[in-house]
Amino acid sequence: MTIRTKQFIIACLSAAFIISLIFVQWQEVTRREQESGGGVKHVAVPASSQGCVKCHQQSSPGIIDHWTGSTHAVKGVGCVECHQAEKHDADAFDHYGAMIAVVVTPKDCGRCHKTETEEFMASHHAKAGNILASLDNFLAETVEGSRTPFNPHSPTPGRDVTMVNGMASVDTGCKQCHGGKVALEAINGGLITVDELKPDESGKPTNTDIVAQIKKASNGRPILAASSWPNTGIGRLNLDGSRGSCSACHSRHDFSPRRARQPENCGKCHLGPDHPQKEIFEESKHGVAFRDLHDHMNLNAKDWVLGVDYTQAPTCATCHMSGHSRNGGKVTHDPGGRISWTNRPPISMVMDTDADGQVVKETDPEKRKALVAHSWQDKRIAMKNVCTHCHTENYVDSFYKQYDDFVINYNEKFAKPGQSIMNVLREQKLITKQDFDEEIEWTWFYLWHHEGRRARHGASMMAPDYAHWHGMYEVADRFYMQLIPQAREIAHQAEEAGQTAEAEAVRKVIEDLLARPEHKWYEEMKVTRKAAAADQASVTSPENSESAVASVPAAEEVSTESKASPAAPESKEPEPVIEPGSKAPADQK
Amino acid sequence: MSRIARWFYERVPISGEQLAELTNEPVPNHLKRWWFCLGGTPAYLFVIQIVTGILLALYYQPSTLSAFESIRYITEEATFGWFLRSLHKWAATLMIAAMILHQMRVYFTSAYRRPRELNWMIGMSLLMCTLLTGFTGYSLVFEQLSYWGATVAANISDAVPIVGPIGKQLLLGGDEYNSRTLSRFYILHAAVLPTTLILLVILHIAQVRMHGVTEFPEPDDEPTAPKHFNFFPDHMLTELMLGLVLMIILCALAVTLPATMGPKADPMSTPEVIKPEWFFYVSFRWLKLFSLSFAVISSGFIVGAMFVWPWIDKVLRRITGIEEISVYIGIIATFLLIGLTVWEAAVAH
Amino acid sequence: MAHDNLDQRRHAEASQPAADGEPRRRFLTTASGSAMAAGLLGAYGTFGYMLGEFVYPASGSVRGWLFVCTTETLAPGEAMDFTSPAGAKVVVARQGAGTSAEDFLALSSVCPHLGCRVHWESQDDRFFCPCHNGAFDREGKPISGPPQAANQSLVRFPLKVENGLLFLEVPLESLASCPAQRANSLRSGSESDDPDTHSSGVA
Repeated sequence: MTIRTKQFIIACLSAAFIISLIFVQWQEVTRREQESGGGVKHVAVPASSQGCVKCHQQSSPGIIDHWTGSTHAVKGVGCVECHQAEKHDADAFDHYGAMIAVVVTPKDCGRCHKTETEEFMASHHAKAGNILASLDNFLAETVEGSRTPFNPHSPTPGRDVTMVNGMASVDTGCKQCHGGKVALEAINGGLITVDELKPDESGKPTNTDIVAQIKKASNGRPILAASSWPNTGIGRLNLDGSRGSCSACHSRHDFSPRRARQPENCGKCHLGPDHPQKEIFEESKHGVAFRDLHDHMNLNAKDWVLGVDYTQAPTCATCHMSGHSRNGGKVTHDPGGRISWTNRPPISMVMDTDADGQVVKETDPEKRKALVAHSWQDKRIAMKNVCTHCHTENYVDSFYKQYDDFVINYNEKFAKPGQSIMNVLREQKLITKQDFDEEIEWTWFYLWHHEGRRARHGASMMAPDYAHWHGMYEVADRFYMQLIPQAREIAHQAEEAGQTAEAEAVRKVIEDLLARPEHKWYEEMKVTRKAAAADQASVTSPENSESAVASVPAAEEVSTESKASPAAPESKEPEPVIEPGSKAPADQK
Repeated sequence: MSRIARWFYERVPISGEQLAELTNEPVPNHLKRWWFCLGGTPAYLFVIQIVTGILLALYYQPSTLSAFESIRYITEEATFGWFLRSLHKWAATLMIAAMILHQMRVYFTSAYRRPRELNWMIGMSLLMCTLLTGFTGYSLVFEQLSYWGATVAANISDAVPIVGPIGKQLLLGGDEYNSRTLSRFYILHAAVLPTTLILLVILHIAQVRMHGVTEFPEPDDEPTAPKHFNFFPDHMLTELMLGLVLMIILCALAVTLPATMGPKADPMSTPEVIKPEWFFYVSFRWLKLFSLSFAVISSGFIVGAMFVWPWIDKVLRRITGIEEISVYIGIIATFLLIGLTVWEAAVAH
Repeated sequence: MAHDNLDQRRHAEASQPAADGEPRRRFLTTASGSAMAAGLLGAYGTFGYMLGEFVYPASGSVRGWLFVCTTETLAPGEAMDFTSPAGAKVVVARQGAGTSAEDFLALSSVCPHLGCRVHWESQDDRFFCPCHNGAFDREGKPISGPPQAANQSLVRFPLKVENGLLFLEVPLESLASCPAQRANSLRSGSESDDPDTHSSGVA
């Protein structure tokens, strides 16, 4: 090979080398893009929180870890930004040079997240703590426990139990979802809550006397009563007068929006026999699709907008809160804004709300119109704007007809009648004022609070099994096999005790009910049988009777054999035997 | 002579002719064959290693607390860091491979015979130093395999009779791997061994120049063609071409098979599979086949035999009368080497 | 024979004076030489440049946009101190009543003269450095003292306002502070579509 040839070859090889270096450069650029696009964000602890991190990295490393993974950390929102308190706040204390409070309330979050907080405070979620004065609370506080502590009556081996805290059920159960009242311990052994502190607009207590009573630990920290903290119930009544807890859905300390978009998050509270929304979602086709496709739904997106970031399936958040392509991607923290029926009460009501967001109960149409600020139709349209991302208008409208029909059927056939039965029993003083001390009160509770509610929820979110077998079937069973017989028994007992008028009043309500076309089926055969039995007594020829086999007890006696266990949907009384050949009631009458 | 040249000659009294004679060696024609470039290849790659090594050392931190993180920084954040690290890693592999091939060429052409016995031993020393450099280099990454590989190696050296325990102590800076061990490996890898290698290479090339290269007529050579060609520019250009080819190969390897990072060293848990670098597979497999002391001592003997092969070859030729006895032994040894290496590579344990 | 012809031709070619081939040969020689030189220079030069990029510190210092306060915290005319995670001291002032970035100003409170800390004097409407009586106007421009002589202004930090929240772009890293860490892998790990990565309870 001549020198010249070699030189040319070297020139060509150099060119090849440069080309390979170009590949190297391209690799480097791609790597760079991936680095910056892939969200390798750097987190630096803000100056004011560096002391906190240094110590808590040892004492509670998980908290630091979680925070480091949050968007707050990337943006420089540290410990102090959320936990900072002012000197005169009821629960403030100086912690190694920083004035902080343990409990972070919506007032604190709202310093930066204004819109979300305002929406949330206006929502029903924030009112969840008001259960404290309701029926359910009596159940958990008195029926399941005791409002005052009581003595144990035998020892617990291995432990020294001197007193029983009867509020344990409500503290660990109801209040953990609904939100309890945050309480500080008082020096005299009592509890100090927002009721005693009477905070002003800025959250500072105005009752200075009670502030002096706050018990403090050796490091100056006001002691939070164990019964009231930990608590992240969504309607928590905070010491600064605010209601709610943002960390109910946005768990700390990473406050992940991704988690809040998923049904498991709502499912901490929205599940169970009385409102199985999570189970209903999972049964429905929405839930089936979600379970299959959730890896592809862009759950990490900054703004998770239906129709833009994902369309595969809705979650709880999608329908009730999230932004979508038709409302400019705007999230709302008030889930009530898209709901047209409220299925919480025994009898469902439409969600016409007034200026304060309260459901309008006024019956007079004129007065009603004046009060309603936001109608149920508006709310339905807001929800339909979500549905129509995947479903056509006719589909959606027809679904709503199915749903409306279902709710109204429940209302008219079982809820209103059941309510009227309970009302007459109370009016006639045939049941005590105390709730839950009589069987029928449990029966009624099951009917509307558990079975009836989950039937309606099942209908609202397309879960046929919950609508029917776990729903209306059980409602019907409860109504016919327990409520009616139990009411009749009470009337019977009243009569035996001489309260004939009261008994009559009750019986009339029941009879009028059962005479209605939709309830006629219940008594028809029995009436016929009774008539036939009476006939049989006077007439000797058996072939004239078309009734069923004898030894069938009369309707009244059926009720006495009903079992008392409220939970059993299959009541154990023998079914009236009906001859296969028997005709419809009409021609037998 | 120009003014500048005169100025220079006064201070450095070497004439151009002397310089030309020193450097422009007549290269025998057989060196036009490509496989005779196997000596220059490791030298070029060594230069690459020095350049990339110095640059990597700007970011590397030889402390057990930050070594891994500094390498992660190089690999993931520094501009072209991944490229330099991959170049360094692949050039190391290619350099050792080229050295072994070069040694095999020298062996099979019996170029170790009188008067070149000393140069053969210098070459063997070069090989040993390079293998050690490769080993210490890998230990610096402070991955699981780095830590456990170093621990195992130190324990093996412990098994060497008499000097073993001292060697282990010197290597680890203690009874076992501690916070000062990494510094020792670093100084060995970045200072002591490269310097030794440079000195040995100078001696190695000087010996080649002193002895000259034996002519090796090929059957298909033209009888009237010149028997030599010039180092400058002919052979130089060949070497340049080779250099460029190596660069292209290295770039391709760096882009397609870049250096990655395994899990960080965890003294508490030994990984399921521990292996040294590929160039130690043969001794690793040897170790697994026999007891520790036998394997160590026999390895020592084999390496020793390799060192003094010129004389063993002489003795064997005399005893057996077969001129090419070394070639036959070499063939068997090569198969053994390849076999043991592949065996170790193929299995987990 | 063909073989002889070949030899003859070759000898003829070699012995020909090649008068007309001379410029072409010279051209080719220079061409090959310069092509080689250019190639080597270009190739190794590019390589060397890449090595140079490696040596040059990668991204300067790591910087990030950090939350300072809500826009309501500062009234127009008010200023507050902010310390970055790396220890940089910044004065954040509100000049206008609006809530856009133009209504705010973030100045380093390190005096460019010899590094003392300046503070805002509202009565004199200036930043004052007590070490050598340097002073700066509300924009950070030097109005008296050594900084004025050298015409050194207070360094500005980039700032932005989003959703009523004020952010500053500051260096995140320095030898003294907690090192800037990469955001927690628990969070970034779930960036992939791998179903296994978001099974755990945390992010």
